[in-house]
Amino acid sequence: MTGFGDRILGLGLLVLAVAYGWAAQQWPEPFGGAEGVGPETFPTILAFVLVIGSLYLMVKPDPDAQWPVRKTALELVTSVVVLIVYALLMEPLGFIISTTLAVGTLSWRMGARPRMAFITGLISAVVVFVLFNYGLDLSLPAGLLEVE
Amino acid sequence: METLGFLMEGFAVALTPYNLMFALFGAFVGTLIGCLPGLGPANGVAILIPLAFTLGLPPETAMILLTAVYAGAMYGGRISSILLNIPGDEPAMMTCLDGYPMAQKGRAADALAISAVASFAGGLIGTIGLIMLAPILAKFALTFGPAEYFALFLLAFATLGGITGKNPMKTVIAATIGIMISTVGIDISTGTQRYTFGVLELYEGIDFILAIVGLFAISELLFFVESRVGGGREKINVGKLTLSFKELVSTIPTQLRGGVLGFIAGVLPGAGASLGSFISYTLEKQVLGKKGKFGEGDIRGVVAPEAGNNGASSGALVPMLTLGVPGSGTTAVLLAMLISLNITPGPLMFTQNADIVWGVIAALLIGNVMLLLLNIPLVGFFVKLLSVPPMYLLPIVTMVAFVGIYSISHSTFDLYFMVAFGVAGYFLRKLEIPLVPIILGLLLGPEMEKNLGHALILSDGSWSILWGSSLAVGLWVVAGLGLVLPYVVGPLLRRRMNAAMKESPVSD
Repeated sequence: MTGFGDRILGLGLLVLAVAYGWAAQQWPEPFGGAEGVGPETFPTILAFVLVIGSLYLMVKPDPDAQWPVRKTALELVTSVVVLIVYALLMEPLGFIISTTLAVGTLSWRMGARPRMAFITGLISAVVVFVLFNYGLDLSLPAGLLEVE
Repeated sequence: METLGFLMEGFAVALTPYNLMFALFGAFVGTLIGCLPGLGPANGVAILIPLAFTLGLPPETAMILLTAVYAGAMYGGRISSILLNIPGDEPAMMTCLDGYPMAQKGRAADALAISAVASFAGGLIGTIGLIMLAPILAKFALTFGPAEYFALFLLAFATLGGITGKNPMKTVIAATIGIMISTVGIDISTGTQRYTFGVLELYEGIDFILAIVGLFAISELLFFVESRVGGGREKINVGKLTLSFKELVSTIPTQLRGGVLGFIAGVLPGAGASLGSFISYTLEKQVLGKKGKFGEGDIRGVVAPEAGNNGASSGALVPMLTLGVPGSGTTAVLLAMLISLNITPGPLMFTQNADIVWGVIAALLIGNVMLLLLNIPLVGFFVKLLSVPPMYLLPIVTMVAFVGIYSISHSTFDLYFMVAFGVAGYFLRKLEIPLVPIILGLLLGPEMEKNLGHALILSDGSWSILWGSSLAVGLWVVAGLGLVLPYVVGPLLRRRMNAAMKESPVSD
């Protein structure tokens, strides 16, 4: 079936629009009564527009895009995981270590040789850290490398 | 002559050593951003916003920095067009047509030099146009009431899909999603909590800076991972400069025509720099006809699109500065900076924040001179950077985005949010939902709601006020046209653009 992507998107957006519009009706009337536009007026309009848009997508979808499969999809998921882990480890491990790992892994997965990748990571991490902490006076977390 | 006085004050702001330094830095970084693969102007400016913000730059300096980056990116885009036949950014597409053949004939250095001059001419003409047109438009915009503003915002969304946009419904959907995201948080007029789900971090709403950086920078990384083009490009030899003064002079009419046309295309909502360079190139071909050797490395075929896209980039600042309604992705990102600096964009900015507006305009003039001076001697350096493989570059860019977002609030919560926006951006781009209307929705959503509220209060709750004045009706009509026209004209224009690309004797 063609246009599968758009149909799924349309369905998702339809659910979102209905939930969004419904939630807007649940808010208590603001103190002193609504005049002209209440907090729910604008969201209600938006929900209507999105309902129409999502129905249109489902009825007249565009041809499907080429979606990544297997290996490429795995690489994409890996990249996202790296980014999340990067955010997770930034404070406990400190900026330099976490950045070396994150930038290194990403470059390596994008095709660089592992050694070059991690050296790039380390150099860029140190440069940015020094620049930020000493040049610009913005503190990035030192983490494990903290000097007491 | 009032304008001249303001402009002089603007120069006084822009010429302080501190601001000059940032303009120079911005011009340099901008050129880099323009020529590096995978870093468009909107993307590049977006990454720099959090940095400008955390550095605590004064508003005029921050704006000068980003405007210089913006202008620089337009210069940089041409380098890879000429040397590699790969446009650095979309507006530089037309430069490939004659730039690459010139490079193949061993005149790469000449093509780079003349295109720098043409960029300068286009930028200069565009900025002069901006100086003349902006105050007039700002004065006119003062007559706008809330109903007119509401219609104007709709017009901005409708035309943003632009002539090259494919499916107008997807533009509508994108804009709606953007506005929806902007409604999260505490409602400013009533204090009602909307869509916060009791999460403290959501009370103040979703910071559009992290949305922008996530949508652009992170999704770009994912696209590169997917397309597996991490490897670098070959080193290119630029050769010697053989451009004669006579040849330079002979292109002056082309530069003027290109700059003026580009500026007009830039001011029009939704047209933007790509169209500017396209129109300039096509017109030049018409005017010179058989006298030129277009597509085979005619020097004027390089000059026209470059003058056009730089003229257009200045032109695109007109609606952004005077109405607070940007006409392109990059100007939308500039608007984000203005809003986060607590400056209300729009006609009042010309009176309330005159130093910023005119400082930016003066900086644009100075920046163009700097860019010309930077681009001719340093072109070899930029060319070297072209061969930096994206597999090193993109992870570093991503890291800079992380640093920028982290240093705003020192919270990792924001980082997760940014990654989430990046993943969403990837899927949306895959599904051909344009990202720029989402950004614009995020930025303009609150203003739109506010104006709707004001209009209805003025009319005592009668919705007919929204189309109550002839000006508002006019805006509605243009908005409608903007949405429908691309459906009709778009395929035609795209075909012609593609045909023009194919006509060029060399492909890849």
